[in-house]
Amino acid sequence: MSLLDTTQFSLEAAMRGSMLRQTLLSNNLANVDTPGYQREDVNFQGQLQQAISSGGSPDQISFRPGVQAQTTRADGNGISAEQESADLAENGLLYQTLTQVAAQRESILKSAIGLGG
Amino acid sequence: MGFFGPIDIAASGLTAERVRMDVTAENLANAQTTRGANGQPYQRQEVVLQQAGGFGQTLAGAMAGVPAPASGSAPAPGGVQVAGVVSDRTPDQLVYQPGNPDANAQGYVRLPNVNSVTEMVDLIDESRSYEADVTAMQTAKSMYTKTLDLLK
Repeated sequence: MSLLDTTQFSLEAAMRGSMLRQTLLSNNLANVDTPGYQREDVNFQGQLQQAISSGGSPDQISFRPGVQAQTTRADGNGISAEQESADLAENGLLYQTLTQVAAQRESILKSAIGLGG
Repeated sequence: MGFFGPIDIAASGLTAERVRMDVTAENLANAQTTRGANGQPYQRQEVVLQQAGGFGQTLAGAMAGVPAPASGSAPAPGGVQVAGVVSDRTPDQLVYQPGNPDANAQGYVRLPNVNSVTEMVDLIDESRSYEADVTAMQTAKSMYTKTLDLLK
């Protein structure tokens, strides 16, 4: 049993995934007026779940972004600024939650090894 | 090119929207200019945006002999960039103003192909996109701050 368990590694992997998703969503929003741009996103939760259930180590996972080619606009751009903004807000809150939980778990660990929490 | 962070990407969006706003302002300012740089009526300008670090960069790299990334792997997102400012080729408006010094023999003046309503709508679009990019940047900033808080 190592000092940091699977849950802690999963939290940190999810934080990496969330930061990657933030990058992709920002990129979508920056390209809202670029003709022919195709939306990119990453389902990091699904990929993380798949890695854990197949017995892989969550700290080794590298998330793979995907492209969604659907569009309803004449310029071939599939970005909805409202949807991207909503996803950005949701992703920011999720990241905040992950860091809070990770910090709490670390402070429990610190108090257990006598560093105070 | 390295992996751009969300803050840099949002900044590229802010820059692009700012350029679009500048060009829209120039179009509005010259909506009645009958004597442009070449002696002709002013022509409406339009900004062409292009994905940075995407296809354009891969193409430029391929032409310079850089091997393309493995198929199936998307290039690292790099935001947006201004590919250029081009002239709108819509014909000029012909308006009957016999008193105008630039009127032709029949009394018609060629006015720029600028429609102020279109420009105002474009301005709203640019302003809203700018705000969305600012929000994305703020979210990214608060995420980095939360990460730093983990070190406390």
